[in-house]
Amino acid sequence: MTRYAMVIDLNTCVGCNACMAACAMENQTPVWKGEWRTYVHEKEIGVAEQVRRRFFPRLCNHCSNPPCLTVCPTGATYQRADGIVLIDPERCMGCRACAMACPYDARYEVTYDDIKLGKEFYGDLQRTSPSMDKCSFCAHRLDKGMKPACVETCVGSARQFGDLDDPSDPVTQLVASGIAQPLMPHLGTRPNVYYIDDLKRKG
Amino acid sequence: MDTMTYTTQHIWTWWIALYLFFGGLGAATLTITFLTDMYCRPHRKLVLWGALSGVVLLAISSAVLFGHLLHHTAVIYVLNPLVFILKPDSWIAWGTQFILWMMVWGMLYALPYMRETPLFQRLPLVRSVLQWPLVEWLSSCCMKRRRIVGWLASINGIGTAVYTGLLIQSFPAVALWHNPGVPLLFTVSAFSTAFAYLLLLLNVFITDENDDDLRHRYERFDVILIATELVILFSFFNYTLSGSESGYRSAQLLWGDMGWLIGFIGFGLIVPFLLELRGVTKGWGSRFPTVAAAVLVLIGGYMLRHYFMYAGVYAYPW
Repeated sequence: MTRYAMVIDLNTCVGCNACMAACAMENQTPVWKGEWRTYVHEKEIGVAEQVRRRFFPRLCNHCSNPPCLTVCPTGATYQRADGIVLIDPERCMGCRACAMACPYDARYEVTYDDIKLGKEFYGDLQRTSPSMDKCSFCAHRLDKGMKPACVETCVGSARQFGDLDDPSDPVTQLVASGIAQPLMPHLGTRPNVYYIDDLKRKG
Repeated sequence: MDTMTYTTQHIWTWWIALYLFFGGLGAATLTITFLTDMYCRPHRKLVLWGALSGVVLLAISSAVLFGHLLHHTAVIYVLNPLVFILKPDSWIAWGTQFILWMMVWGMLYALPYMRETPLFQRLPLVRSVLQWPLVEWLSSCCMKRRRIVGWLASINGIGTAVYTGLLIQSFPAVALWHNPGVPLLFTVSAFSTAFAYLLLLLNVFITDENDDDLRHRYERFDVILIATELVILFSFFNYTLSGSESGYRSAQLLWGDMGWLIGFIGFGLIVPFLLELRGVTKGWGSRFPTVAAAVLVLIGGYMLRHYFMYAGVYAYPW
């Protein structure tokens, strides 16, 4: 079996936003309204000379126990055997319950207007119906043996992608070592995106 | 990862509060009137008001939700009764089916009464529909199996009222919502607002003196439910004060807001509680205090859901 996971090292993310651009072009996200499948959150921490800027890339955590999946009334949100949580846009009625349930703020809406604008912006738009949307770990690329677009493009190698069911995978070893931690594990969502903390870094 | 971002949401706002309010109110109204008709005494007018109010309120609430969907045609997946098998873990799926079947059984229960009501006989289209052989046959079947039909409608009505709370409870990131008190609070509030609505009907539109016993009984029930709601809200106050930052921030939003404190707790619960308590213990010389109390409870019912939606705080670790 395969269980995909991502490790993000906050020490090496330089905030270049190349991951956002690569993802937007790959997945045709509605960037004109500031919605992204992956987003690098910037925050200034500390005061005076101690101040530092932290870049925090975030995306769908592809939880093993995803609350967005259980609340979905139509079955549009589903999980593949490899753990990737996906949305079927044809089946999604857009009630937004998944966005309410997601503790990681990973979902956004794609409306009829966005489809119209998307056709002008991207030319050949793959999407035909409005729905909720989120990161898919670039499942279409994984199926072709490629890595997700954000991982491929990351200049600082801050994003690493791997298979947690493969003991020799560097991602599995990082997670097993405890250096990489999931976000808000107390919620019981069992996220598959892990973070290496950046407390020592000064901007 | 030592810094957090706390924020409220702008996804489900007033329109979901309206959906939850009308949903709970309509379902509880239908349930109360049918149980009254089955176990207190047959009451044609009350059943008709209850069934039609339930159906209309549920239709309005469903229309509000439907209007805000992103992809309207995909709603067919949730209207399919097989959704219980396909998505038994989704409360919206359960709620939609509760609402649908409550409307169906509710109209069937009211059908025999509709056929003997002069108003419906005077409405051209309705009169001809009521005279269809199929409708006549359905009506006689419902008369024979009155209690079964009544209970089927009532069970779906209770399910709808409970669902309005379970829906909000299913969002784990927000402490104010994700706890067992929410379904209880919303169910109690739904039945309290339904009793208030029926008191309004029985004091303004159905002013038969023979219904005085029902008025007293409903008022007594409402006093008990308002008191229960106050106890639950006090528990919420204590629960949110400590335990999680999300809950604490919700407490600050709610209890530091005069609209919640004076508008909802004061005028939506305490004032009507006192008015109705006086009505139950000593009685009033006029109908005005009871009507005023009922209106305040109804406004309070919406305010509860409105504030609840806006006061849910997400804690993001970035």
